[in-house]
Amino acid sequence: MSDSQNHQFDPAAPNTGEDFEPVDVFDDSDDFDLRPGADSCYKCSTCDTNCPVAEVDDDFPGPKFQGPEQWRLKRRDDDHSVDDSVMDCSNCMRCDNACPSGVELSQMHNTARGEYVSEEMSVFSVEYVRNRLLANYRTSAWLASKVPRLANAAANFGPARWLGEKLLGVTDEREFPDFATETFTEWWAAQGGAAGSKERAREARERRGEPVDADKQVAYFHGCYAEYNTPEVAKALVRVYEHFGYEIVVPEQGCSGTPMFANGMLDDARRDAEVNVSSFADLVDEGYDAIASCTSCSMAIRQEYPELFDIDGIDDVAANTFESVEYLRIHEDLEDELTDADVGDDLAAEFAYHAPCHARNQGLDRQAVELFGDLEGVGVEDVGDSCSGISGTYGWKAEKYETSMKIGDEMFDHMETADGETGMTECPTCAMQMEHGTGYDVRHPLELLEAAVVE
Amino acid sequence: MASVPHIAVVGGGSTGTGVARDLAMRGFDVTLVEQGNLTHGTTGRMHGLLHSGGRYAVADQASARECIAENRVLRDIASHCVEETGGLFVKRPEDSEQYFQEKLRGCEACDIPADVISGEQAREMEPHLAKDVEKAIVVPDGAVDPFRLVVANAASAQEHGARIETHSTVTDVLVEGGEVVGLEVEHDSGPGKHVHGTEGGIEEIRADHVVNATGAWAGRIGDMAGVDVAVRPSKGVMTVTNVRQVDTVVNRCRPKGDADIVVPHETTAILGTTDVEVDDPEDYPEEQWEVDELVDTLAELVPMLAEARTIRSFWGVRPLYEPPDVASDDPTDITRDFFLLDHVDRDDLPGMTTVVGGKFTTYRMMAESVVDHVCERFGVDAECRTADVPLPGSEEFSVLRDYMDEFGLRSPIGRRSVERLGSRADDVLATEEPNPVVCECEGVTRAELQDAIGQSGSDLNAVRIRTRASMGNCQGGFCAHRMASELHGDGGYDEATARRAWDDLLQERWKGQRHALWGEQLSQAMLNYALHATTQNRDNDPVDGDDVDFAAFDGGPEAVRTDGDNRGN
Repeated sequence: MSDSQNHQFDPAAPNTGEDFEPVDVFDDSDDFDLRPGADSCYKCSTCDTNCPVAEVDDDFPGPKFQGPEQWRLKRRDDDHSVDDSVMDCSNCMRCDNACPSGVELSQMHNTARGEYVSEEMSVFSVEYVRNRLLANYRTSAWLASKVPRLANAAANFGPARWLGEKLLGVTDEREFPDFATETFTEWWAAQGGAAGSKERAREARERRGEPVDADKQVAYFHGCYAEYNTPEVAKALVRVYEHFGYEIVVPEQGCSGTPMFANGMLDDARRDAEVNVSSFADLVDEGYDAIASCTSCSMAIRQEYPELFDIDGIDDVAANTFESVEYLRIHEDLEDELTDADVGDDLAAEFAYHAPCHARNQGLDRQAVELFGDLEGVGVEDVGDSCSGISGTYGWKAEKYETSMKIGDEMFDHMETADGETGMTECPTCAMQMEHGTGYDVRHPLELLEAAVVE
Repeated sequence: MASVPHIAVVGGGSTGTGVARDLAMRGFDVTLVEQGNLTHGTTGRMHGLLHSGGRYAVADQASARECIAENRVLRDIASHCVEETGGLFVKRPEDSEQYFQEKLRGCEACDIPADVISGEQAREMEPHLAKDVEKAIVVPDGAVDPFRLVVANAASAQEHGARIETHSTVTDVLVEGGEVVGLEVEHDSGPGKHVHGTEGGIEEIRADHVVNATGAWAGRIGDMAGVDVAVRPSKGVMTVTNVRQVDTVVNRCRPKGDADIVVPHETTAILGTTDVEVDDPEDYPEEQWEVDELVDTLAELVPMLAEARTIRSFWGVRPLYEPPDVASDDPTDITRDFFLLDHVDRDDLPGMTTVVGGKFTTYRMMAESVVDHVCERFGVDAECRTADVPLPGSEEFSVLRDYMDEFGLRSPIGRRSVERLGSRADDVLATEEPNPVVCECEGVTRAELQDAIGQSGSDLNAVRIRTRASMGNCQGGFCAHRMASELHGDGGYDEATARRAWDDLLQERWKGQRHALWGEQLSQAMLNYALHATTQNRDNDPVDGDDVDFAAFDGGPEAVRTDGDNRGN
């Protein structure tokens, strides 16, 4: 089973084991004490000056307040409530990178938000229902993928969008993404799954003159969006990796948790994290590395998992997870491969590239520009270091739409001035925003890489 | 003698303000003088423990009984100054089981509620306790803010007609015809609210009776009156951590010893303490080893303390006293009980009473007995009501509010403000004016600062103890100038006054940080220095320092070009 809903999983029975540690266990959020994290803060406010939300919204008190200040002012075992402004944080996590002294800001924000949602927000409120729906995008996407054509028509049916805004507070300014008529994993199964991949990888290694039994095995975390909406990105990954002789497996997986963290739905995130860690930990044990084509998925697994959860094997999985292009740049001579590459004009000659915040946090913000810098016939132009503003589900909320577009303004401007009229980014929701703001088609670097290296 | 006896009280700590309040409530005419701001002496330099009496339950049961009685009173009359944290006496494997049992029996004997819990239960309450803590006794210890309590006592005394003079040093005790008849006082800046830069002056305060409540300084006042009061000041160090590692008072369950208590205090925890006799309550060495030993020893109870950020350390001097015939060698053997020295009986000097010894927790009881004594002297028949009438701020109030709707404040800031202000919250915070946060670390807003300035004048250290502004992890680095500008703006003080107050505040903040200059707080101090030097010219302020010697700089590009042939060719 490579992909399925995990509705059979019972979140009421977490694995607490022998080493039950009330300080670390998230389920018992009253005991999750991040106050000592405030010790590293010197109040310098560099985080605030790097916060895209604070830049456009004067009422947002900023990451320093949401993180170290609020935690320091809090008390345990007390009804000190988390301030509601934590819901205005988009979880772009730029503050983590901005901080010169290693304050774990996003961990504090995620934890505070989780506490706010579970303690302060009524599960009967429209906001809660809307956020829960958005956070569990995978569930709706799974349903929609059963009837993709109907779903596409219905979701963007004008009156339905109007109702969505009025009833649920989902903005009617945006068009819903199309659902693919064939999901990635349906395609994957048709390609013969892991067995088929093994065969193709062996052939590729033979062709490349590499040892047939070379240790080139990766476990692919495709995430929800490449599964249901942009399987072409996942297919590109498969073809590129197999071209380099990698055997791919696609283990059972849920949502990475990114939209759940951002909405404070930490029980949901934990439920899926348990599935993901359990299936990837076994593979990492066997020598596989985990790769993700979505930079927010890799970010969640690498950073947020070990910060927020205590699940067996979680540190190993985090340490062995990579972004998919990053992984190839580490292990393969891509520069050499791209020197003689010939890219047809199927995609475009000039791209306006936006580095997603979560890619930035992994140190990957320059990788597409560097990688394709010497590729004949193709120009990739960086449109600057601003945030796209959508931040996953954030820009889908009616009350956040305007903030989201204000943040995105700088990126839209820079895209307009860039040579290309096709966008490029690693993040599916940044891609939505780029398209929404400029009308450009947006591609994933893997798609260009596929065009360049795969016959 | 006038119809209403005038009593002069010396000392603006817990005892002095407690005496002033009680006297004023019983109808006396009262003047209180204090050499610094309120809590300047020992009161402002304690660990903030509201004793359950548990600490004295083995060695000093009389004190233990007084503590539990007063603990209950203060929870009632000073609820906005007290946090009911509860306390633990924890036993490590190397600590004596016999003593643990004695402690438990002692608590029972003194009517101190005490329950034994397992090490695991203790760690459930306090997750950062050492793994090998075996068991603990739970007692009703609490945390108390000494500043707020003293300010509330002074405010109550004022409401009952008392005159409170801070920054007023007693320069002489007036003795005429073998009787104390008043004080000679030097005001630092004139009588009334403290205003920096106002010319002070000498005032003779005639009084029918003088109460010497100066604690460790009692000997000095005694000398001025020609009587010998042999206080044995004993210093103890306390270190403040940046955040709370514990939310319960954690005591080590062993016989007297140094470094055996951690008290959660507002946003911080205070580690205590040591006990070393000193000669002079104002001049004694503050040594780094004392801090190191404190942290190391307490890390045995709460291991994370070894790595915790400390923001400052301070020393206090206990006003210990024992009758001359006891002569204990070790200050830890000196009783913590208080003594009322009636100088008529003792020294044949009428007109003055001295109170020494005692503990913060029992300040009210001490004050009551002093005032009973004064009443007897003047034949006044008035009941003490200080145990029943709540202090200003501790009338009925709830901290559970909708802070955003009511005061426009973010939840943790509103919560902290209302906790500090108690029943005064509505008066102070419900303002139509913009009310920005001035001190971010402690969540103190402009309205709260203006309220404090209204109470205490231009003394920003007095504003600080009322509000906690500048007492958080940046130690004033990011708010001292904002506080000074509150004086200058809405406060109505001129620039020079604001600058002098600002200097005093920074100086005071620096004093405690000197003993925390490693790790994170060293970085903080360096950042503060860089900010203050580069944005406020704090490394050389031309306004109050020497003029900048501009001639020492070169004359600009022109000058450089002319005196070097090799340039510009």
